Amino acid sequence: MSAYFIEKDHRAKIASVLLIIALMVIIAGLFYHQIIRYKSFLAQSEENRIRIRPIIPKRGVIFDRNMEMIADNRLSFTVSIVPMEMEKDVTLPRLAELTGADTLEIKKKLNANFISKYIPAAVLRDQDIGVISTLEENGEHFPGATYSVESVRQYVEGISAETFIGYIAEVAPDEIDNESQWGYRPGRLIGKKGIEKAYDRELRGIEGTDFIEVSARGQIIGPYGGKDRVPAVPGADLVLTIDAALQREIVKFYDSLQASGGVVALDPTTGEILALASFPGLDPNLFSGVIPDEIWRSIIDDPRHPLLNRPTSSMYPPGSTAKLLTAGAALERGVLTPETILRGCGGGMRFGNRVFKCWQEHGHGRLDLYHAVEQSCNVYFYQVGQILGLDAWNEFAVKCGFGKKSGIDISGELSGIAPSRAYYDKAFGPNRWSKLLILNIAIGQGEFIVTPLQLTQFYAGLANGGKVFKPHLLKEIRYPERSVQKIEPTLSFTLPFSQNTLSVLSRALELVVQGERGTAKGLRNKYYTIAGKTGTAQNPHGKDHSWFVGYAPSNAPRILVCALVENAGHGSEVAAPLAGRIIKRYLLGDSTQNVIAQSVAESPVTE
Amino acid sequence: MTVDYKSLDWKFILATVGLSLIGIMLIYSAHYDSSAGSSLNFYIKQSIWLLLAFVLFNAVFHIPVRVIDFIAYPLYGLSIILLILVLVAGETRMGASRWFSLGFMSVSPSDIGKLALIVALSRFFAYTKLPPQSKRRLAFSAMLAFIPALLVMKQPDLGSSLVFVVLLFSLWFWSGLSPAYLILIVSPLISLVAAFHWIAWVIYLVLLIVFMLILKPGILFGVIVFTFNLAFGMITPFIWNHLEDYQKLRVITFLDPGRDPQRAGYQIIQSKIAIGSGGIIGKGYLEGSQSQLKFLPERHTDFVFSVLGEEFGFVGTLTVVLLFGFIFYRGIRIASRCRSKFTSNLVWGALTIIFFQFFVNIGMTFGLMPVTGLPLPFLSYGGTSLLLNWTLIGIIVLADYHRSEY
Repeated sequence: MSAYFIEKDHRAKIASVLLIIALMVIIAGLFYHQIIRYKSFLAQSEENRIRIRPIIPKRGVIFDRNMEMIADNRLSFTVSIVPMEMEKDVTLPRLAELTGADTLEIKKKLNANFISKYIPAAVLRDQDIGVISTLEENGEHFPGATYSVESVRQYVEGISAETFIGYIAEVAPDEIDNESQWGYRPGRLIGKKGIEKAYDRELRGIEGTDFIEVSARGQIIGPYGGKDRVPAVPGADLVLTIDAALQREIVKFYDSLQASGGVVALDPTTGEILALASFPGLDPNLFSGVIPDEIWRSIIDDPRHPLLNRPTSSMYPPGSTAKLLTAGAALERGVLTPETILRGCGGGMRFGNRVFKCWQEHGHGRLDLYHAVEQSCNVYFYQVGQILGLDAWNEFAVKCGFGKKSGIDISGELSGIAPSRAYYDKAFGPNRWSKLLILNIAIGQGEFIVTPLQLTQFYAGLANGGKVFKPHLLKEIRYPERSVQKIEPTLSFTLPFSQNTLSVLSRALELVVQGERGTAKGLRNKYYTIAGKTGTAQNPHGKDHSWFVGYAPSNAPRILVCALVENAGHGSEVAAPLAGRIIKRYLLGDSTQNVIAQSVAESPVTE
Repeated sequence: MTVDYKSLDWKFILATVGLSLIGIMLIYSAHYDSSAGSSLNFYIKQSIWLLLAFVLFNAVFHIPVRVIDFIAYPLYGLSIILLILVLVAGETRMGASRWFSLGFMSVSPSDIGKLALIVALSRFFAYTKLPPQSKRRLAFSAMLAFIPALLVMKQPDLGSSLVFVVLLFSLWFWSGLSPAYLILIVSPLISLVAAFHWIAWVIYLVLLIVFMLILKPGILFGVIVFTFNLAFGMITPFIWNHLEDYQKLRVITFLDPGRDPQRAGYQIIQSKIAIGSGGIIGKGYLEGSQSQLKFLPERHTDFVFSVLGEEFGFVGTLTVVLLFGFIFYRGIRIASRCRSKFTSNLVWGALTIIFFQFFVNIGMTFGLMPVTGLPLPFLSYGGTSLLLNWTLIGIIVLADYHRSEY
């Protein structure tokens, strides 16, 4: 017999001993509870009952890059119902009477937020202290009704923060995650858009649980004296890359214009977004409590689409801002040199049996590449596009980030369209489309559509020696235990241009502002040089959209601004001054407080 | 086949009948409404199930043992097919696919699987010529148990999948593997848990070495066990540090379902109050305020023992625990006096399942064990559970009746 084998009788003995030990453990446990601790358990069972109270953690605060608080919390009372203790015909109508709500509405909320018979379901949010004290004092008249304190968002005003912060609201049925107890339970508030959604898990913290003792009459006696309490873990604070002061400046400008549009400002050397604005905007505080139906409907029905985040989720033809892509591709392919002079512009040009116009009725005459960019001559770029061809154009467009998402850390981004041969074959049928379509694309019209964010990325690459960092809004996560997670810049892609091509393009962009005939020469100033490009995008639905993308200081860029003003006409007239103002605000600070001098010393000055 | 009813182990059967009747009484009380003087009809349904269970019990010990032996592997194969089918086409309740609906009743294939695994493992251990510690023997039997265990875990039903694993370990022991050897086999899992703190892990490894020096399990086996312990321990912190926070929380709840404070935590608090406030003699039948006032959820199924504790006090709970104790004591005797290895294994397997559910369920009602949703055999409301447990009793009685044969 080996040492690994034991005889049957021996096994039976071991089994009997183990059985006796197990029974002793159980009997000892019962003895402890039923005899030793009998009195304390009896007291708990006689008059009182134990109720669960979820502890909702404090939601993390959101700061801008200069540690200005832009999303804070305020306390709010939520009335809930414990389904098991409720008396339907008593509790619901009395609660309705007390709060002025509708019985049916309360019932609907109760059903929607039901988790379990003994877990309170939130039915009325943001109740005033009068309601709560009535509940506290006259609990017996409201069987099963209880309340909890919740933190509700409060956003700083005047920065149109809804674009990037988003808002929070009650969890929707399809977001509920019952599997995990720390998951999204019915009746809880969660981030629905923007930063609030993207970093909801960090902001939310971990829900805790309290057990409270309630008298048979429904009055709260106090915490249940057990070790079963599970404390909540507060949410992490977020520091954004946003500059709130800059964002405020943008809001002021749009307010004076009364226009729709969007602005992206970022640091091209890191991808940190300094401002992200969409107009018309919404006040996120609208969403912090309960949105009345009629307000919600008016938002949804507004023809100006205030819920739309234009910089990331709206697509426009890029207009002349796209000429740099065409130029870059042609230089790279060797079909163009900076000195190449093409057929002169007389205000338009015939290709096949169609006439393609220039924006300048009288024409620009004969130009080289630099001056064609400076004056934004269409005729020059029609020809470049024709020489380049659709396939080459598309190859470079895709490599420059067009037709795909940037991967910004908020959802809802659209990818735009960089048309290709396959795209046209699908749209019009194989070979049933004109080769001349490339002419329009070359000047940023036709089927080529972009989001302002994509254009921002492309120009960030031009400003930053070809390197494009992923645009992002989060700078730091500050966890409650004081550990800080910094978000490092990540290289998204590199423009498919040689250093030589890049320097030609940036020289051309400088001319747009510095040149005698530059379309944005109004931005010239004595403190720093701006390089950029205006754009006027034809819009089949109305007046042209006005674009400007530019960066400064042009030799060592610290900020890049992409501004779009819908239906505002020429880029040089509306978008360029707006961008100039933003750049100035960022580089020189608040000029009314006369802090120019110091900034000037730091900024390289040309002229 | 005629049966000489006089020679059956009637004390054993009567103890089980007693528990079943106590169960119906408590189910009645659990939903008794003192103001209306009536109760929900769960107790009627349970009574009907009990009658069916008697019929099934009677049928089971008319089956010749040879037939059970013969159908062992086909039954096992069938149960695996059913376990796969239920994942694909089962009825989904509360996020888990555990049942087939037959209209008038729901069948849970994991219960059939438990039965099938007892029979299959019993047969394998009865006829294999391999010594208990043989690797092939261990591996094959482990495979038999882990296939249904993994399928059941997928449902997900952690409690039931543990039953399969416990059954495997238990039959390893009963078919001759020494407990010390068993501990060595399980040791890498202990290492996995101990490695959450390096001091605990080092202490554990030292103890393991001491244990092996005393036991002398053989150089090769010892090295293998130690290597596995090292490997499991070393990957723990590595994996742990690479988990997201929410994944860590998932692991913690997986290991300790009692950490769900709003569901399980609440039930345990209410259950403890119910049991504790029962005192020595209890509050009296139908007088349990905790269960009557409906503060105790799941009181007719998982927490039926708490109703007993509140209404009949320590006297009541002790009686039920002792009745179970009597069944297990008698069962061990039956298992050890069976002349055939196969029937002895069957009895041992059946006892293991009843014991595991008994221990986990009662332990859960006062916070000793995590809340896993395993019912208390014979007492909890539930048709398939009652049928399964009575079938197990049938197998034990049958084996005892034929103890000198085979």
